[in-house]
Amino acid sequence: MLFAQILVNGVLLGGLYGLMALGMALVWGVLNIVNLAHGALIMLGGYAVYFLFTGAGIDPFAALPVAMGGMFCFGYLLQRLLLNLIVRSALLNTLLITFGLDVVLTYLAQLAFSADFRAINPSYAGANVTLAGITVPLARLAAFAVALLLAGLLWLLLNRTRLGRAIRATAQNLVAARLYGVEPRRLYAVTFGIGAALAGAAGGLYGVVAQITPYVGTSLTAKSFVIAIIGGLDNPLAVVVGGLVIGIAESAAALYLGPTYTDVISFGLLVLILVARPARSLRMA
Amino acid sequence: MSARWWVPLLGAALLGAVPWIGDETIMQFGIYLLLVAVLAQAWNILGGFTGYPSFGNSTFYGLGVYGTAIAMAQFHMPFWTGLALGGGLAMLCALLIGLPILRLRGPYFAIATLGLNAALSALVANLDVAGRNIGLILPLTRNDVLFYEGLLALLLAATLAVAWISSSRFGMGLIAVREDEDAAAVMGVDTTRYKIAALVLSALFSALAGGIYAYYVTFIDPASAFDPKLNVQMVIMAVFGGPGTVLGPVVGAFLLYSVYQALASSISTAAALFYGVVIILAVIFMPKGLVDLGWGLRRMGPRYLLETVRQYRL
Amino acid sequence: MSVAPAAPLLEAGGLTRRFQGLVAVNDVSFSLRPGEILGLIGPNGAGKTTLVSLVSGTLLPDAGTLVFDGRRIERLAPFRRAHLGIGRTFQVMKPFPGLSVLENVTVGALFGRGGGERNRAHARERARAMLDFTGLAPRLAQRADALGGPDRKRLELAKALAMQPKLLLLDEVMAGLNAVEVDEVVALIKKIREGGVAILVIEHVIKAIRSLSDRVLVLHHGQKIAEGDPASVFGDPRVVEAYLGKRRA
Repeated sequence: MLFAQILVNGVLLGGLYGLMALGMALVWGVLNIVNLAHGALIMLGGYAVYFLFTGAGIDPFAALPVAMGGMFCFGYLLQRLLLNLIVRSALLNTLLITFGLDVVLTYLAQLAFSADFRAINPSYAGANVTLAGITVPLARLAAFAVALLLAGLLWLLLNRTRLGRAIRATAQNLVAARLYGVEPRRLYAVTFGIGAALAGAAGGLYGVVAQITPYVGTSLTAKSFVIAIIGGLDNPLAVVVGGLVIGIAESAAALYLGPTYTDVISFGLLVLILVARPARSLRMA
Repeated sequence: MSARWWVPLLGAALLGAVPWIGDETIMQFGIYLLLVAVLAQAWNILGGFTGYPSFGNSTFYGLGVYGTAIAMAQFHMPFWTGLALGGGLAMLCALLIGLPILRLRGPYFAIATLGLNAALSALVANLDVAGRNIGLILPLTRNDVLFYEGLLALLLAATLAVAWISSSRFGMGLIAVREDEDAAAVMGVDTTRYKIAALVLSALFSALAGGIYAYYVTFIDPASAFDPKLNVQMVIMAVFGGPGTVLGPVVGAFLLYSVYQALASSISTAAALFYGVVIILAVIFMPKGLVDLGWGLRRMGPRYLLETVRQYRL
Repeated sequence: MSVAPAAPLLEAGGLTRRFQGLVAVNDVSFSLRPGEILGLIGPNGAGKTTLVSLVSGTLLPDAGTLVFDGRRIERLAPFRRAHLGIGRTFQVMKPFPGLSVLENVTVGALFGRGGGERNRAHARERARAMLDFTGLAPRLAQRADALGGPDRKRLELAKALAMQPKLLLLDEVMAGLNAVEVDEVVALIKKIREGGVAILVIEHVIKAIRSLSDRVLVLHHGQKIAEGDPASVFGDPRVVEAYLGKRRA
């Protein structure tokens, strides 16, 4: 029974983790940019939903599309005006510049929002559903459902739309894609925008199930890394599975080893997986 | 190589004299400055010359910190033994981890080192002998001059090591690995052995710096010992100054940290913002570091900045 | 008067290499003696570069043996093969981009046969000599990635030569060269052979292959379909068919 509860906890958490990693995996797979500011984007999305909820009274789940729209624009501009300038530089430079971005965004967030813990608490936040002796928090269940939905939508976007085809083509071969009429600067910006929108959604959901501060970004970036590596950059659904793996592993570790061991497990897994399967060069295509 | 070799020597002598010229604040500033300079130089060996961007050198720094701290606080050993232990621990870790991790390329290597840092940090936080999350307290010694000169000596050693590397066959091999690892292997470079050697050397200097600094601050815990921010700081300083050069990382560290401190004392919170903005601008306009920027500006004037952007933009 | 032929320097037996179901090299055997030039030809995708990579150690075979100078080397790491005396050029050229021409070739001298030259100054001397030999001396201070096509080919050659190889693997060194440049490279290769070096040349330029090769080996779909002196190979109907496709009846 306890084992089943852990499993459920892990799965629900894992779905959200998977959504977090989705944006990072997309940007990495298509643009070859490892975005160390990804967590900051999640954090910003969380604040966006928070203020829509507390300021305008919009239910967080309804506010998600709005926040996603805002984050998309932000991400689009970020890529178009800033990141496009260094795309062809060495990979270390993309790591450094996104780190710099992370520092700036975190600082500005702290300036604007203060370091107080914020939680998004709609009326149903504490409600539970009990199935076969397992407690399932409603909010977490809803977050899980939304995460799966968005992953599915991303898959559809990439595989069933013209835009998706253009994105995949660019990921494979930028030069060839150009010959087919893809305008790389705009496409890169759109892709990053989508990644930011997904991060924003994850942030909004995160705010419902946990608390946000300007500093949550860093550990969420790291976690997204781990999941993106495990799930690979090929397929959104695989990323979600990766999220589930981490979610369940953390849940189990928290119980059997103690809550302080969750990081050891996640990162230990990361290193082990990287080392065991070194030859992965993957694209979201 | 620098024909004006007496310039750095003079600089080193001046630096050595600081404890007798400056006051306590200057000493504190100087000690941390020397620390980050050593770390930047240590990173330079692996990241600058060999081209393996490590975001986990803080792992070895942390091992140096904890090796020394555990030896002194838990087993009451003298400082030099503790330092040697810390260094040895880091080298051992480098040897064990090096083989599997150095098989990874580019971003995967960077992330693996990040993960290593986080995992080790979390592991140490669970060990009793390491004081778990609370950390350890080392014996107190009010001898700032010792720490200062110690770190200065370490910086000199690290810089000399890098100077030797840059003019030796070993160094040429590392550079070949950086430029094109497959071609290097086919030309006869034992890439595996060379990479591990670079990693071990880098780890050693990082750990020794950590050990000295641990004794200086007296109180250590996992968060500060394995601080990922420290990690990125040393990378930025090395890259800003000039990766793969002998003095670049030192210059980068000195410049960046000094400006940061100057800002921090006047506009404290904006100092963090400063770092972020500097990094962003540096990556866009001088991705190969200050040394390279200097040459470029001398050759082309301000147009060099435009050329750089044109070369790397989409 | 008959002279006993020198023992083979390189002997490949049944080399096979697959890539996820596709057999790139299929049971290929051949041998090469010191001072001999073997031309390796075949349509695109025939497996020529794969075969060369198996010899240089960049790839490991799924089956087969490779004996060099009396040693079994098919599982040896590339850098060890370099120390034994195997040097190669790459079809997609791989200069060390950020380094100067001289530095590029110095690497070859520092790490080549026998572990290379320990002394950096001596290595540089040998590098200079190789640059003179290949005609790149005027460019020795230039950055490698600033060179034009034909010069890049020369650089590849100089790098490999600085290793003092006993066996030189040349992968399409003449691609993209005009007729005059091709003649120059052919002359260079002949001079290299005079030093006793065995050379395996992958080429599409038939004129060059004819004038250079002592023997020619033809690959098609990973398999050896013909081997012999240039005249007989080029007259072989199977070879013609491989390049031009089956003639319709």
